[in-house]
Amino acid sequence: MFNKILVANRGEIALRVIRAAREMGIKSVAVHSTADSDAMHVRMADESVCIGPPSSAQSYLSVPAIIAACEITGAEAIHPGYGFLSENAGFVQVVEDHGLSFIGPTADHIRVMGDKITAKETMRKLGVPCVPGSDGGVPTLEQAQKLGAEIGYPVIIKATAGGGGKGMKVAATAGDMEKAFQTARAEGKSNFGNDEVYIEKYLTTPRHIEIQVFGDGKGRAVHLGERDCSLQRRHQKVFEEAPGPSISAEERARIGKVCADAMADINYIGAGTIEFLYENGEFYFIEMNTRLQVEHPVTEGIFGVDLVREQIRVASGMPMSFVQEDLRINGHAIEVRINAEKLPDFRPCPGRITQYHAPGGLGVRMDSALYDGYSIPPYYDSLIGKLIVQGRDRDEALARLGRALGELIVDGVDTTVPLFHALLQEKDIHTGEYNIHWLEHWLESHFGDA
Amino acid sequence: MTKNTHDADVAFIRALAELLNENDLTELQVKRDYAEDDSLNVRVSRKPPQQIMAAPQQMQAAPPPMASPAPAAMAAPGPAEGDDDPASHPGAVTSPMVGTVYMQGEPGAPAFITVGKAVSEGETLLIVEAMKTMNHIPAPRAGTIKRIMVGDGDAVEFGAPLVIIE
Repeated sequence: MFNKILVANRGEIALRVIRAAREMGIKSVAVHSTADSDAMHVRMADESVCIGPPSSAQSYLSVPAIIAACEITGAEAIHPGYGFLSENAGFVQVVEDHGLSFIGPTADHIRVMGDKITAKETMRKLGVPCVPGSDGGVPTLEQAQKLGAEIGYPVIIKATAGGGGKGMKVAATAGDMEKAFQTARAEGKSNFGNDEVYIEKYLTTPRHIEIQVFGDGKGRAVHLGERDCSLQRRHQKVFEEAPGPSISAEERARIGKVCADAMADINYIGAGTIEFLYENGEFYFIEMNTRLQVEHPVTEGIFGVDLVREQIRVASGMPMSFVQEDLRINGHAIEVRINAEKLPDFRPCPGRITQYHAPGGLGVRMDSALYDGYSIPPYYDSLIGKLIVQGRDRDEALARLGRALGELIVDGVDTTVPLFHALLQEKDIHTGEYNIHWLEHWLESHFGDA
Repeated sequence: MTKNTHDADVAFIRALAELLNENDLTELQVKRDYAEDDSLNVRVSRKPPQQIMAAPQQMQAAPPPMASPAPAAMAAPGPAEGDDDPASHPGAVTSPMVGTVYMQGEPGAPAFITVGKAVSEGETLLIVEAMKTMNHIPAPRAGTIKRIMVGDGDAVEFGAPLVIIE
C-alpha cells in the first residue's frame, strides 16, 4: 500500500480523496494554485504545495508542476479526481514514466474510450448495445429506406460533415424518409461541401442511465448498478439518483453483467462509468467515463462501499474488497448539485460565503469544501457542494432531500438550492417520470429560458 | 518583579526582536543572571521565510477547525506581517514553478551567486528542477544580491521567494 498520495484536484473531490486516504492511514498531499491558498483541501491535507498561478492551465493542468510536487513531497501515487487531468492519457503516461502510480485506469483505456468512434467500435465488439445505424455513409435513398425499415422509425439522418444542428433531419415514419434524406444531403452539401449522410435510430424521450463499473486490472470486474442522471441542463447533470426509477431488477442484472463482462475482457482497472440512453426497455451506449464521477456518492450510498478506497486499493496492486455477489442494493439515494449560480440563467456567482451550515441527521451526506468566510474564486467550476440523501425507499429519500435542503445555509452567494426546492413540488419528480428533455422544458415553462 | 525591571525587560526583548529582523536571523536566545534568584531567559524566533511545506502532523491529531475563519494547517510562507513578507519585497525574485533548487550548475561547481555579488540582468541566479528539467532562473534586473532565501536541494513552491536583488 502507498504511504503518501498526491491529490491533483481541488474542491469537494479533493476532500473526498483526502478523507479516504486518511481512513486508510495514507498521508495526503494537496496541490493548489495561488487563488486556492485558503481552500479547504489545502487545510485538510497533511501537506500542501503551491503549484502555480490561478489559471488552471498553469496549475491544476500543469503536468510538470504536479510531477515536481510529487517529487519534492515523496508522494508515490496521484489521484486525479474528476475533470482536470483525470482523463488525460498523456498525463498517465508521464506519471508512469516517472515511476509513480496513477490512481485510475491505464493510458490505453483512457485513449480508447476518449475517442468516440473507437469507443463505440470497442464497446460493440464487447457486446455492449449501441445506437443502431448505418456503418458509415448511406449513398442512395433505396439504401436509406431499407435501413429505416431494419432499424425501425423514427430515424435521424445526419450529414457526416455536419454539426451545430445543420444537416440533421428526423424521419418519423417511412413516408418521411425521402424528404428527410434529400434535405439532409442538400444541407450537408451547402453548409459543409459534403453530401454524405449516415443514419441512426432516433430516440425521442430517452433517459440517461449510467452503469458504475469497477475492475481490478487482472480480468475481474463488477458492476454497481445504475444511476439515473436524466435531469440535465445543457448536458450538465443537476440531480442524480440510484436505483433508476424506471429500471427493473432484471434489466439491471442484464445490462450490468454485459458491462462488467466487457470491463473484465479489457482488464479495466479502477472505477468507470458506461453511459447509456435508455428508451422502451433498450440501452444504447453513448460514452464511457474512465474516472470517478461527480455523482458516485449515490452508488456508494445504496451499496455501502467506498469507491475511492477501492480505487486506491487496486492502484496499489491489491484486490477489490468485494465480488459481485457481495453487492446488494439497500434503499434509495439522491444527489443534488449545489452550484454557485444565479437562477434563472445559471450565471456563475463567485464571492464570499458569509455563512455556511451543512445539513445533518440520518441519511444525509454533504460533500463540500465550503466554510464560513471562504471566498469562492472565479477561476474554476461553480460546483460548491453535493447534497446526498438516502432513505429506505425513494419516497423517504425525497422527503429527506426536502428536509435537508431546508437545513442547508449558504449565505453570501446565489446558489441552485431554490431549483431543488421547486423541483420537489413537481409531481413528475415524485413519480420518477422524467427524461433527458424534462428539465429544459420545465425551465422554459417556468423562466422562459432553458 | 518590580514595574521598573518589567519595563526594562520588555524593552530588552523588543530590542532583541529588532536585532532578529535586521540581521535576518530565525532564532536568538539570551540568558541574563541579575542575581542569585533573579534571571531572565529570552528566546525569540520566527519562521524561516522560505519554509514551504505545511506542518505535516498538525492535521493528523485533530480534524481542521471547520469554523475558524483563517487557514489553520498551512504554515504561512513568511512572517505574518505583510510588509515583512520577502515575497512582496520589491527586489524579490520568486520561483516561477514548483521544484527543487540547485545553487550551482553541477555538483561541485561554485554557486551561481553569493550575498553581496553584483549580477547583471539575465544572469543565472539558481536552478529550479521540475520533472528532470533544469530551469535557469535569471536575474530580472541588474543589482546586488541582498539576500538568498533558499539553499541547495530545497523544495520550493510556485511563488516562493528565492533571492532579493537591490
